[in-house]
Amino acid sequence: MTYDIAQDQLLVVSNLTVKHRTATSATTILNDVSLNLQRGEVLGLIGESGAGKSTLGNAILGLLSADFERTSGTIRFEEMALDRIDKQQWASIRGRRIAAIFQDHTASLDPLMAIGRQLEEAILATNDKTLRHEARDIAVDLLVRVGIPDARERYHSYPHQFSGGQRQRIVIAIALAGAPDIIIADEPTSALDATVQKQILALLRELVEETGVSIILVTHDMGVISDVTDRVVVMRHGEVIEQGVTSTLLDRPQNAYTLELLAAVPRLRLSGADVKIRRASDTIGPAVQDSGAPSREVPILVAQGITKVFAVSGLGWLRNGTRKSALREVSVELARGAITGIVGESGSGKSTIGRIIAGLETANAGKLGIDGRQFEISCPGRRSGLLGEVQMIFQDPALSLNPRMSIGDTLSESIRFGSRHAHDPKRDVLSMIGRLRLARTLLARYPHQLSGGQKQRVCIARALLAGPRIIVADEPTSALDVSVQAEIVTLLKEIVTEQGISMLFISHDLALVQELCSSIYIFKDGRVEDAGPSRFIFGHSQNPYTRSLIDARPRRFTH
Amino acid sequence: MKADTLRALWKYPRQYRLSLSALLLAAYVLVALAAPLVVPQNPYDPLQIQAWEASSPPGTMGGGGYIYLLGTDGLGRDIVSTIAYGLRLSLLVAMTSTAIAAFIGLVLGVSAAYFGKWVDAVIMRIVDLQLSLPTILVALIAIVTLGPGVDRIILAIVIVQWATYARLARGVALSETGKPYLDAARLLRLPTWRIIFRHLLPNSIAPAITLIPIELGHAVALEATLSFLGLGVPIDKPSLGSTVANGFQYLMTGQYWISLFPGLALFALIASINFVGEDVRRRLDPRSRSHDV
Repeated sequence: MTYDIAQDQLLVVSNLTVKHRTATSATTILNDVSLNLQRGEVLGLIGESGAGKSTLGNAILGLLSADFERTSGTIRFEEMALDRIDKQQWASIRGRRIAAIFQDHTASLDPLMAIGRQLEEAILATNDKTLRHEARDIAVDLLVRVGIPDARERYHSYPHQFSGGQRQRIVIAIALAGAPDIIIADEPTSALDATVQKQILALLRELVEETGVSIILVTHDMGVISDVTDRVVVMRHGEVIEQGVTSTLLDRPQNAYTLELLAAVPRLRLSGADVKIRRASDTIGPAVQDSGAPSREVPILVAQGITKVFAVSGLGWLRNGTRKSALREVSVELARGAITGIVGESGSGKSTIGRIIAGLETANAGKLGIDGRQFEISCPGRRSGLLGEVQMIFQDPALSLNPRMSIGDTLSESIRFGSRHAHDPKRDVLSMIGRLRLARTLLARYPHQLSGGQKQRVCIARALLAGPRIIVADEPTSALDVSVQAEIVTLLKEIVTEQGISMLFISHDLALVQELCSSIYIFKDGRVEDAGPSRFIFGHSQNPYTRSLIDARPRRFTH
Repeated sequence: MKADTLRALWKYPRQYRLSLSALLLAAYVLVALAAPLVVPQNPYDPLQIQAWEASSPPGTMGGGGYIYLLGTDGLGRDIVSTIAYGLRLSLLVAMTSTAIAAFIGLVLGVSAAYFGKWVDAVIMRIVDLQLSLPTILVALIAIVTLGPGVDRIILAIVIVQWATYARLARGVALSETGKPYLDAARLLRLPTWRIIFRHLLPNSIAPAITLIPIELGHAVALEATLSFLGLGVPIDKPSLGSTVANGFQYLMTGQYWISLFPGLALFALIASINFVGEDVRRRLDPRSRSHDV
């Protein structure tokens, strides 16, 4: 790319190479990256973890730490070479011309400062001529602009008094304080629920239309890319794989990796015909239940009227007897030999019900029966009879394995203490890791030497080797990259069919649940909001909340 | 510029001090291990001691055919030999008590975190109570209650020190108990001892391990203090602290060597343990490594 062509560009990154240096080695994080950004454009930067997309964002902001080194390439912002300016010049650019929004809205705000003050501070820091009393009016305007209701009344509220979505709106308001030309948004909606994510993305899009700001949106989520970006840059291992206009690139990807990324995104199917085709080719689903033997129709697990109340912690006299209910009279049934899904946003109580079913937590009221056997779920003892009947697969594979135990030890422990009678534990472990497509050499390794996907497979192996009839999988794929996510989902499906296991699959992702589950419960605020066979939920449910969840999905990935 | 010069000035003696301490500590350990081979006299054996040679000044030629390099004490024991044998006892007491205190403290701290509720409350209130009293007071009460003797001194030091480990280990273990690998262990219905010793303990001890070198220095000092106060080891088997105490009455009459040389040996021992310990801690603990040189 030559400079002549790039004259009308706001930001031009040419042939940027960045290396990360440690005492012993240098790793290339960005390799010959070139891209440009026009005024009033939303540019998406997509890639899986380790693609270098955040490093690129930080390089543009001049925020690379000392162990990163730019070995070649230039970053030009209007007439300025950002790679050559000094600290003082950065002060006139960062926050004023180029602003940033980060993923963690909680860490982005000072918890001990009223949000109005934080905004005022940002306004005064980025506008030399503004006086303090004027700053307040500007701040209120900004809050109104980003959609904070009752901005004037809530001016003196603190960050914890706002919801996650509102906090991210405030962070956006702060980014807007200096009226920047570019906002670099690094995974701005990854920590938010689907419906809130939709609103925040819509807000960013509006801001672009109204103020003409340009946004570089760093994300791992194809849905985000398809919803708001004009152009997209696909990155992998620090290199730009493909770039182009979003709609063209998503419709006709040229590169095999882009195709793979797109194929890995779970898609929501809404048309009836499509559902039928899928059922025919799929052994799991209501079809199995409908035509199965009579015993299959008796649910393996029945939970009735589960209620869970958390005491809000705090100093005794401040507590005021406030208690928060996590679950209110929730009833759930698990179909035998199939996957039952629970969908809900954060705080809906979906994880709590999973932990109660597994016996890790007690309930305040309710009944739980597995195969007709009743279990005490409200006794506060650590070792209820329920513990051990159900195994779990957890969200974060990095925290789910004992870091000081080798994979082999972890797996043999599961077989030794599990409920299955093993004649030859060693052979069982080997055949299991073979089944999960893991290499035998992994047995001698420790968790930190494994990738996220490998770790999650080991967790699945551990759960299976204990010989359970029921497995609770709590968001087992949300900490993984999309391509790995697809592998794990396929694996779970296969295993349920092969081993006749019944599974409770907890997720926030409707498409994923549709792909896996025969029946679905939709949770909201600790209640079952909607429930039924998958076909009913996606085809005919009239429940407004269910509809809003379905509508929050990016349209491109809904059929 | 100025900061750089200052740092350079500071850096050299620091490394020098460290290697000197390490060398000294190694020499101490060697002398302690090989005491009967390197010193002329066994001060615990009455037959080798000549009472008429009591309080001989440094350099006196003794009846045993060797020179009393640092003189003799009030009972006629060779100071050099007394230091070497006292060193043995001091190090033995310090290392044993530190090891036992660390083990007990870690297990109790981790157990408090795992069991929670009343177990946690009981263990941690004892810890609070103990950490709120001056160490020397706790040790004195322990010795007065338990009576004198080497094993009692070890026990007294354990009682003083376990609480520090327990408090630290509990904090780390608490943050571990929320992690799903422990949920997975519970789901396997592992025996409690196995969850604690195989899963929780190995993941909670790293920060507490860094305490050990520092606490070792404290243990030597505490043992010396107790012995100095006459509450420690028996009179016929003097440790460094009790040797200093034995010579105390002679200071006024000018027989300085009985107290001075064991005192200097003790000082150098504690200093070298502390310097080496501080360095070991810095190497083990990544949190303190970043803002130190």
